Amino acid sequence: MWRSDFTFSKRLLGTLLVILGLLAAGGIIAVDLLDAGREGGIGPAQQLALVVSIGLILLGATLIPLGHDPA
Amino acid sequence: MTQRETMTSPLLPRASRALLILAFLLLIFHLVVYLVYAANLIAFPFDYDQGEGFELVDTVMFSRGEWPYQDTEAFPFYSSNYPPLYHVIAAPFVWLFGPAYWYGRLLSLVSTFVTAGAISYAVYRESQYRWIAILAGLAYLASNTIYHVGPLFRQHISMVMFETLAVVLLAGVNEVQNKARRRWLLIMGAALIIAAGYTKQLAVVTALSAGIFMFIRQPRRAILWGLGSAAAGIAIFAWMTWATDGEWWRQAILANVNEIKILQSLALFQQWFGLHGFLIVPAALVVVYELYFNRISIYSIWFVMAVGINGAASGTWGGGDSYFATAIAATCILSGIFAGRTLRGTWQFRSNYLSRLFIDPARRFAPQLSVIALIAVPVLYLGYGRAVLKMPTNLPIFEQIAQVFQIYPNAQNGFYDSARTQDGQYAAGYAAIGHLTTAEDITAGYRIVEMIQADERPSITEDAAFNIVAGREVITNPTQLLNLDLRGIFRGDELIGMIEEQAFGLIVLRAQFYPEQVLVAMGQHYERSETVTMNGFEYIILRPKT
Repeated sequence: MWRSDFTFSKRLLGTLLVILGLLAAGGIIAVDLLDAGREGGIGPAQQLALVVSIGLILLGATLIPLGHDPA
Repeated sequence: MTQRETMTSPLLPRASRALLILAFLLLIFHLVVYLVYAANLIAFPFDYDQGEGFELVDTVMFSRGEWPYQDTEAFPFYSSNYPPLYHVIAAPFVWLFGPAYWYGRLLSLVSTFVTAGAISYAVYRESQYRWIAILAGLAYLASNTIYHVGPLFRQHISMVMFETLAVVLLAGVNEVQNKARRRWLLIMGAALIIAAGYTKQLAVVTALSAGIFMFIRQPRRAILWGLGSAAAGIAIFAWMTWATDGEWWRQAILANVNEIKILQSLALFQQWFGLHGFLIVPAALVVVYELYFNRISIYSIWFVMAVGINGAASGTWGGGDSYFATAIAATCILSGIFAGRTLRGTWQFRSNYLSRLFIDPARRFAPQLSVIALIAVPVLYLGYGRAVLKMPTNLPIFEQIAQVFQIYPNAQNGFYDSARTQDGQYAAGYAAIGHLTTAEDITAGYRIVEMIQADERPSITEDAAFNIVAGREVITNPTQLLNLDLRGIFRGDELIGMIEEQAFGLIVLRAQFYPEQVLVAMGQHYERSETVTMNGFEYIILRPKT
């Protein structure tokens, strides 16, 4: 990664997007689980963020099969 | 003979060219409307859009070597919440011409032309198609949003100029082999991003986009240059915070964090797509193409980030459709690239599971698709030109055009704006401007100025212009007081005390964007004496209760 000719492949980018999406989705759900005193469940902003997170996971998953093609 | 030539009759390329010329003429018409509007605003001596006057105050303060980031708890209770660059650029005009609106509006107008030029250049560099490059630049100027924000004494559109220049410079930087030239491009790109950020905070989206692009292409270079750029930006920030006793941090950062009204964001997203959909769809197709069949360009990352982040932020208090301006610039570049590549037939698809599924089966239709493209591409620009239509309907020539095409006004002063329904409704957060001002508006403005001058005491005016033209000190910046109040960091004891003592001769209200406790004090100690209508807005004149 520190080589001057290193560049992201579609696979690496896809993997990172999947991880990012999973972390984000997990974080959004964790907010509700950890913040037990809060009422109202998952609000509209959280729902939107959850949709974006799932979108990132799906996008990443479709990039992974593209292998070593440069991103 | 190419496949396309076998498929086309000689008439088809001619029809395509004729449609391109029609699209060009339609966008030139938009440019004329824009210039008429800009000329009208440049001649108007008062606030047209609320907030312009306070940007002029900031400019005047910089011209005197003063910071506009001040303690709002002390007289004159004024502070700015915007970064300094636009006002610093305009400051020399204050030395030459005194406080006036025209040069700020002219600077903004020029910045939109620079942005349009950069868009055209980017499209030409990618597609080598001159006509499409010209159409892409004109499409930016034709947008309803760019039209009504473009010639205002506001910093937003200059930020978009710096952002666009930065992105266009950095687009091919990783492929530059000459080390000195690459370094020069990186320095210029980073400087332009910092300039955009110190014009308006919203440019953080472009900084992020450039960082992600650089990181994907060459992580080592991205980290080294990112750290360098961040250090430069933070050093300026720290210096400004120190030089203003922390008011820069308090007024421009703390007070600027506002809650998002998701319904407003959604309404503005819908409107943005309704107006720019003809270009958004091809732009989105380029993003998909680059994701799966080519390298991801800075334009695609910029487009996605600007649409997602700025679009969501358009629902904040103080946001609005202007927050889509960066996304519109990105849309014009990407759709131009789409149009150019389609007409040139230069799409190339890497072999992968998606090309085998979707592209390979469609290859046998390529000749037919290229024929369709000859007509479809100009139609995209024609459709866009119609979707963003706005014009005065009561001026010579425009009146005749409106009659011929049955265009009826749906906004103030005989103005038609396609962003509104025919009965004048528009999305929450859309700026209700774009119409031309009249001689009666100027007369009404001077009437308020005379009222201020007739009283020896200072006056509070919600638009700064009346005090500026009257030669009086500008008291308070209402929206900034409200920003601070919404964040719970405004007390206003001294201001409320002065209102209670009736220390102000006149209070001129427009939208009543003051903190509630200030409005209550005004209501208790002042009473309405009259209402003056200027530029379609009602200015309520309050005088001390007897």
